Amino acid sequence: MSRIRVDAVPMGLVAAWLASGCHDPGGTKADQLPRNTVAVPIDSATAARNAALEPGVLATVQAVRVDRWKGPGERPFEVALRSAAPEAGHSRMFGTITLAIALRSRTAAISQYPCTSCHLGRKVVMANKRIEDAHNNIQPVHPEQTGAVCSTCHSADDVQLLTLKSGERATLDESYRLCAQCHFPEAKAWAGGAHGKRLDGWQGRRVVMACADCHDPHKPAVQARIPFRAPQIERPRSHDP
Amino acid sequence: MNHDPTAETAVRADDGSMLQKPVDRRAALGMLLGGVVAGTQALGACAPLSAETDEEREIKLLAWREYIKGNYRFMTEDERAATIARLERLAELKRGEEVTIQSTGPQPGVLFGYAFNISKCKGFRRCVEACINENNLARNVDMQYIRIFEKESGVVDLNDADATYQHEVPAEGHFYLGTQCFQCANPPCVPVCPVGATWQEPDGIVVIDYNWCVGCRACMAACPYWARRFNWDAPEVPPEEVNPNQHYLGNRARKQGCTEKCTFCIHRTRQGRLPACAEACPTGARVFGNLLDPDSEIRWVLANKPVFRLKEELGTEPRFWYFTD
Repeated sequence: MSRIRVDAVPMGLVAAWLASGCHDPGGTKADQLPRNTVAVPIDSATAARNAALEPGVLATVQAVRVDRWKGPGERPFEVALRSAAPEAGHSRMFGTITLAIALRSRTAAISQYPCTSCHLGRKVVMANKRIEDAHNNIQPVHPEQTGAVCSTCHSADDVQLLTLKSGERATLDESYRLCAQCHFPEAKAWAGGAHGKRLDGWQGRRVVMACADCHDPHKPAVQARIPFRAPQIERPRSHDP
Repeated sequence: MNHDPTAETAVRADDGSMLQKPVDRRAALGMLLGGVVAGTQALGACAPLSAETDEEREIKLLAWREYIKGNYRFMTEDERAATIARLERLAELKRGEEVTIQSTGPQPGVLFGYAFNISKCKGFRRCVEACINENNLARNVDMQYIRIFEKESGVVDLNDADATYQHEVPAEGHFYLGTQCFQCANPPCVPVCPVGATWQEPDGIVVIDYNWCVGCRACMAACPYWARRFNWDAPEVPPEEVNPNQHYLGNRARKQGCTEKCTFCIHRTRQGRLPACAEACPTGARVFGNLLDPDSEIRWVLANKPVFRLKEELGTEPRFWYFTD
């Protein structure tokens, strides 16, 4: 399968994207940990959504064949695309609760997508100083550490595309192609299965999450959180560990 | 189960005809006492003083048939279907839960293995949260199968590791290591069971027949990893939080006085899905797959990453490896 170009991204998807409220800057708070340890009973709306998620959640995830990287045994694999239904794409049901599995919900993070809603398709000169006003939701930690500027990764010709060192363009869904240019040990482990996440099953289609589904590209480090509650049953000391 | 020929007996049915099929002692006892229960019910139906409803009578009869059933391991397909039908009906009658209990068997050519990346785990315990909800773990006693240890970097001795941390993680200068049932290839918990209530399935999962377990806790003493848990109290799960997708050998309702443990989410993994802990992990620290498939991700990890197992010197051969980036 050939890689997706941005002109191949159907406008219907973008419309569904907007209609589903993904552009809401409020975003989803589902991946934030609860600060207390009290179990909250689920409401009927959540229960209905949970029921709709199971089984076969993989069917709801849009994916495309990974370009240039092969899995173990030279098996091709797929990478999940941005989903028009983020809850189905990035949340999973366990028992009767739904948890967001991404460290960072990409849909909420790229709240200003599509870029053409402001950039209108014109060529723009991109400089770091613009971050403070238009893109104040971005924390440019990674660019500051590496000395990169916006146009190191983002195409100056078409702001909805990424630019690779080879001069090629890649969509925002193909973040692995951009990141793998420097982070090659991680990319190798990602293709092999030791880095990143496989969705849904150990059998059948291998669909993995892309780099930017977990890492904020501008602030990639895993952020600290409050953990889920500690066990209340003490282990017997004679049975260490 | 052994079929002692001397125990074989013919039972006279109510219509006076002899049953041609030889019946073992347990089945004969079941029929006789089942008849007593049925007879008592018939009497009760005649006696105006009895306040017992049809539902209560059905519960008693089903519970009695459950009480005299055999070990799941040696049941025929028909017997398995019958006990599952009884358990589903009992869940509906007693607790108002509509559950589906699978008896899905192991897939041929599949041996499950697990790898845990101690470089990636940040101690968020999302796996624990998913496990509790997926496996219907008792909420009244806060049962947990998975423990995540917090340890200073550079030390792998877990004797004084802290599994009860409750602060923002990851903490500076610490790493996190999770334990659960390792589904050992040479499981010390299995041969010590005096009644054969626990055994290893062909796909490597060590399972328990909760109804056959007598609660002696010998398996808990034998496990060097503290993977097994005991139901000191009757486990309670709020009906609205019960996961209805269940397996007889997995997350179905447990009774008071039996042991339980992680089964690699047998109800999910035998259908090709990932265990709940692996799917819930937000950092991708958990890798699960088929050890017999040379092109699986778990085999790639074992071939390409530095791996170790806990207490290897005991010869338990856990199918659960730890690795670093």
